[in-house]
Amino acid sequence: MNHFKMPPQIVRLVLLTLVVVGSYGVARRLLVPPSFGEYGWFRGAAIAELAQTKPVLAGMKSCDECHSEILQTLAKHDHKTLSCESCHGASRTHADDPDTKPPKVKFADSDCLRCHQSNFSRPAWFKQVDPYEHFRGDHCTGCHMPHQPKDTP
Amino acid sequence: MDPALTPILEAAGEAHQLATSIEGYVYPNEQNLLWSVLIVVYPYITGLVAGAFIMASLVRVFNVKALTPVYRMALLTALGFLICAPLPLLFHLGHPERSYQVMITPHVSSPMAMFGFVYAWYMMAVLLLELWCEYRRDLVVWSVRERGLKGLLYRVLTLGVRDLSPAALHLDERMSKIITVIGIPSAFLLHGYVGFIFGSIKANPWWGNVLMPVIFIFSAVVSGIALCVVLYKELCWFRRKVVDAACYDDMGKFLFYALLVDFTVEGLDWLHRLYAAEESIFVLKQLAGGRLFNTLLVIQLCLGTLLPLVALGATQMVPEKLPVWFRQRIYYNSAVLILAGVLAMRWNVVIGGQLFSKSLRGFTTFKLGLAGQEGWLLAVGLIVLPFIVLGVLIWLFLPDDTKATETVTTPAAG
Repeated sequence: MNHFKMPPQIVRLVLLTLVVVGSYGVARRLLVPPSFGEYGWFRGAAIAELAQTKPVLAGMKSCDECHSEILQTLAKHDHKTLSCESCHGASRTHADDPDTKPPKVKFADSDCLRCHQSNFSRPAWFKQVDPYEHFRGDHCTGCHMPHQPKDTP
Repeated sequence: MDPALTPILEAAGEAHQLATSIEGYVYPNEQNLLWSVLIVVYPYITGLVAGAFIMASLVRVFNVKALTPVYRMALLTALGFLICAPLPLLFHLGHPERSYQVMITPHVSSPMAMFGFVYAWYMMAVLLLELWCEYRRDLVVWSVRERGLKGLLYRVLTLGVRDLSPAALHLDERMSKIITVIGIPSAFLLHGYVGFIFGSIKANPWWGNVLMPVIFIFSAVVSGIALCVVLYKELCWFRRKVVDAACYDDMGKFLFYALLVDFTVEGLDWLHRLYAAEESIFVLKQLAGGRLFNTLLVIQLCLGTLLPLVALGATQMVPEKLPVWFRQRIYYNSAVLILAGVLAMRWNVVIGGQLFSKSLRGFTTFKLGLAGQEGWLLAVGLIVLPFIVLGVLIWLFLPDDTKATETVTTPAAG
């Protein structure tokens, strides 16, 4: 009987293909996180992990408990929509334990420029300065009061 | 001064410079280009891969016997450049170490996410397979002749198949031909896909165009053949060999006709745009005549297309009036110009498509830096790297005495 013999090239190439595809399958099994695709195109477990992270922000209500007079001033001026922690930094530890120092009592010029540096994406009515052209002799707080920005110190 | 202010002042300085070079109205997120010079280099390199492969297939599928001397060189060129093709993308990524994720969790709705598979298919199922079938006989011979690491490499690459009987060699030949036939649409897929990525962006009138994949494919073919024309002459010069005149004439012929088709397709694209005159045409005309004047009209059109077309056309129309050395010089110089023109074409597509606002009412600007992740030094390095890889491949697989192996007649039994 005449048996068909597979040519050796084909045999080796088929084996090699199986090795490559098999390695891909194994790598995929090992590398894809188990919860991937549970809810969508991401790691399902990421949601629980994120939910477990401790909040770092305290919220304005916590600030109001001790610093209500400053909040009342703020509420009458242009920065009324800002949260305290936007400029003073995340203060959860200070709110939980008032003896610990708050992250920033005074803020740097960069905190002001984060919002007020001239930028195409900001509407024209919004106060913007080009730090190169604007007065550079002192810090922003030398002329502007953050809690009541239209007043001078 | 507050030290925290320094980066902000620097950014302000850049923004100020940018603002003075912006014309008309641009949306805020259009000031800075997101795709820079590395994204220019990437389609350039993949185009050279696809073009070099098409050049090789002329011998295998279309039986152009005169091109046999460059068949192997063209295949190795395709491999050398393919190995380096993903590098510009990896350098462009903020987190290259995460790039494997595109392979293990591919999302079929994203053409970019499918690149890994297009690449893997082309590399493994087409190019490496074809090279293996083409080289199997020589690998067996070299594995016997060579010692040391080189010999070990050849032995590993034979995959243990040492059968050199006429039937086995005939099978190699047949397999090689079948793979090339599959390889042509695959090469078109590899580069057509790059054009598809741009062509499918509907929001950008410079890119969103059904002709884009076709334009990319033909410019790829032209650049690949041009690269082979340059490399063949350089290789002959390096090895102190005489250029095969018939082969070089045929390369020049294919270069001319490929360039003619490429020019026609791109001309058709412009003709269609100008005649259809959609609302974007005004900004595109300003773009072509303004910010892209040097790269589009001077380098791509005049130096990279029209001049080589006239020069190569002369070699086709009145070959008898031009001496062989002069014809060869025309092929070589035209190929160099074409390579520069195709690089300019990639620049015009990638950078040009981001220079005008989606509002169609303004232009932003792009300044290419020297160093850094998106600097031109890295871009030049990434263009040079495939030539170094190709040099190693030629040293390994295209020895000076390729013909010598054909005299070996003792087939080892498999």
